[in-house]
Amino acid sequence: MKYQTQKIALAYFVVAMALFAVQVTMGLVLGWIYISPNFLSEILPFNVGRMLHTNSLIVWLLLGFFGAAYYLIPEEAEREIHSPKLAWLQLAIFVIGTAGVVVTYLFNLFDGNWLLGNEGREFIEQPRWVKVGIVVAALIFLYNISMTVLAGRKTAITNILLLGLWGLALLFLFAFVNPDNLALDKMYWWYIVHLWVEGTWELVMASILAFLMLKLTGVDREVVEKWLYVIAALALFSGILGTGHHYYWIGTPGYWQWIGSIFSSFEVAPFFAMMSFAFVMVWKGRRDHPNKAALLWSLGCATLAFFGAGVWGFLHTLHGVNYYSHGTQITAAHGHLAFYGAYVCLNLAIITYALPHLLGRDPYNQVLNMVSFWLMSGGVVFMTFTLTFAGTIQTHLQRVNGEGYMDVQDQLWLFYAMRFGSGVAVVLGAVLFIYAVLVPRREIIERGASQPAE
Amino acid sequence: MSVTRAWAWLIALTATSTAVAAIGLSGRWLALVVLALAWAKAELILNRYLHLAQAPNIARGFALGLALFMLALTSLAVAIP
Amino acid sequence: MTTPQASVLDDLPGDLMMWVLILSELAVFGAGLMGFLAVRLTDPPGFAEAQAHLHSTGAGINTLVLVTSGWLAALALEAARAGRRARLRALLAGAALLGGVFLFLKAQEYADLWAAGLTFESHAFYTFHMLLTGFHAAHVLAGILLLGLVGWLATPRAVEAGAAFWHMVDLVWVLLFPVVYLI
Ligand code: HEM
Ligand code: HEM
Ligand SMILES: [Fe+2]
Repeated sequence: MKYQTQKIALAYFVVAMALFAVQVTMGLVLGWIYISPNFLSEILPFNVGRMLHTNSLIVWLLLGFFGAAYYLIPEEAEREIHSPKLAWLQLAIFVIGTAGVVVTYLFNLFDGNWLLGNEGREFIEQPRWVKVGIVVAALIFLYNISMTVLAGRKTAITNILLLGLWGLALLFLFAFVNPDNLALDKMYWWYIVHLWVEGTWELVMASILAFLMLKLTGVDREVVEKWLYVIAALALFSGILGTGHHYYWIGTPGYWQWIGSIFSSFEVAPFFAMMSFAFVMVWKGRRDHPNKAALLWSLGCATLAFFGAGVWGFLHTLHGVNYYSHGTQITAAHGHLAFYGAYVCLNLAIITYALPHLLGRDPYNQVLNMVSFWLMSGGVVFMTFTLTFAGTIQTHLQRVNGEGYMDVQDQLWLFYAMRFGSGVAVVLGAVLFIYAVLVPRREIIERGASQPAE
Repeated sequence: MSVTRAWAWLIALTATSTAVAAIGLSGRWLALVVLALAWAKAELILNRYLHLAQAPNIARGFALGLALFMLALTSLAVAIP
Repeated sequence: MTTPQASVLDDLPGDLMMWVLILSELAVFGAGLMGFLAVRLTDPPGFAEAQAHLHSTGAGINTLVLVTSGWLAALALEAARAGRRARLRALLAGAALLGGVFLFLKAQEYADLWAAGLTFESHAFYTFHMLLTGFHAAHVLAGILLLGLVGWLATPRAVEAGAAFWHMVDLVWVLLFPVVYLI
């Protein structure tokens, strides 16, 4: 760690990992409810648990991005963070806001209240006061990092990272646009949800991956930057109009079927480019960095993102296919592998890379960390397969044969049981990961000779 | 080939497409002829206007991609019952 | 570090990012044209009937207009390289003007379809026709603005990028024209 203010990242990463644990545990509860539908039905109805699962996911991923920015921007800009105080204030606002959401939902407080009640739109259910807090915190964050970058060295990595983070924050403003017309409501809703994960977040992903590749493989910055710009261009070119793949059946005009099908098919390209980028860099790289686990997570991220977002996304993105598969377990299969591959693995990669520096240790316990990678990734991949099979059967029975929704669900029991099993592996993997990066102070298993960390 | 000569070729090819449509050729034959002419025009634009002729390896890559695309278009066009 | 891959890309005439854009645009329009012909197989008489309402002669003239405009843009690049500013600006102005002529003819076609009550939703043919030519016309408009910008900058590098975009617009049109208007 070269700059004192990089330490801020540590707090963000720790809070992020705590929420990560909550998120996957909540997933496990949901998975159990699928098997035994009355489980906790009085205290924690499925919809509330689901909201906690998805929202804690979003919040911890964002906190991870913030932490990553606070970690890598000083190194890239060669400057201390503009104001550490503001960074702490921002974190406090986020923590209070998150607690507010959880309490409001768990106890169903202030229902229908304009300011205090929940808003009931998936991923952006937060009560309005929390949304305002998020915007304030985001502005503080953007001000803080932009000032740092403006005062320091400007690199392609910070350029693309800032572009992604600014876009992310500006798009969130659509959370305040909530028309009564359900079709319009959905239209704006996708501006956030889709343009986040298939637009601005991709820029964040590409720039963080580029930073990791630069550090871990020692490839020339020039080469990394060229890739980074190409990836960013491909992501925006395909992703913006790719939003059309959510406009097939919500009441928007029919031409969206073609715009959505064509542009979203090309969304595979940036994910393919990111995967190629990661492997080409490693293959060309001359540095043998001791933090093997960070490299494993980075490569895993690029690969699983390509499969989860690229392949599983393409699977149901053509409107002729989506007509049948829309909203089935196929969607859930894609949602899990895409989020996991692209953004969960990305955060865990930068955390694995940064924590040894932040804690002032050698990258210890690579073995445990790598075991957690295989356990968690194996779990999510298996879960994706079970859900894909479940979704295929569901599509056929329900959408082709016209059977009733609940009759079909009864027949999918076996898949849900297997999904629960893979969920257990994911949760164990997550716990193991958190333990491996935070606790051990010395190597438990000998590692091979290596050169000092950069 | 200079860009001016390329332009003259483009004009000639375009005039030919319009002419074959005007003399009443239709159906599959029309599709075959005008798609072939379009293919030639596309190669001219790539190689002369966009100067890919200077980079033969890249030009070959584009030529292959374009050939496959034209093949797909032609198959779809003549598959009409 | 020299890499085989970097050296192939170094051969590219012009800016790498412009080529990324060109390839992306070609891929999108290409997919659109294939979609069009594939859907046409489901209703050949309907497509033929709908096509009869288009201005195919106007579209043929537009092809001549665009390839000529592309020629002027290519000459402008040569002028830029030779350091002849006044000439390059005049040539780019000519290219942009022909772009304007293209849009004018296109607008007449849209106006006539509109007057005949034919819209996006009237038939699958028009959905494709308006999506493809509409997207293309939007690129012509963007290209005219871009030619203005690079004419103002007047550096060889800028003119090369502007002209490359303009040639892409040209290229898309020569492929689109026979598919949508003639066959
Ligand atoms: C890091 C790991 C995980 C990520 C990134 C993740 C992500 C998500 C996302 C994005 C959704 C919403 C999907 C949609 O709208 O289609 C969701 C829902 C869900 N997740 Fe997870 N999840 C994870 C772990 C788990 C685990 C371990 C389980 C437990 C078995 C689980 C069970 C569920 C269930 C049951 C739902 C609700 C699906 C429905 O509404 O029918 N998730 N998760
Ligand atoms: C990392 C990037 C991505 C993430 C995190 C992601 C996540 C998700 C999630 C959570 C949903 C469910 C939304 C809901 O209805 O609640 C979804 C839906 C969808 N995604 Fe993605 N996705 C990504 C990339 C892609 C890509 C690249 C494609 C296309 C190639 C794609 C195609 C789709 C489609 C078609 C749907 C709608 C499914 C339906 O109709 O039910 N996604 N995505
Ligand atoms: Fe999407």
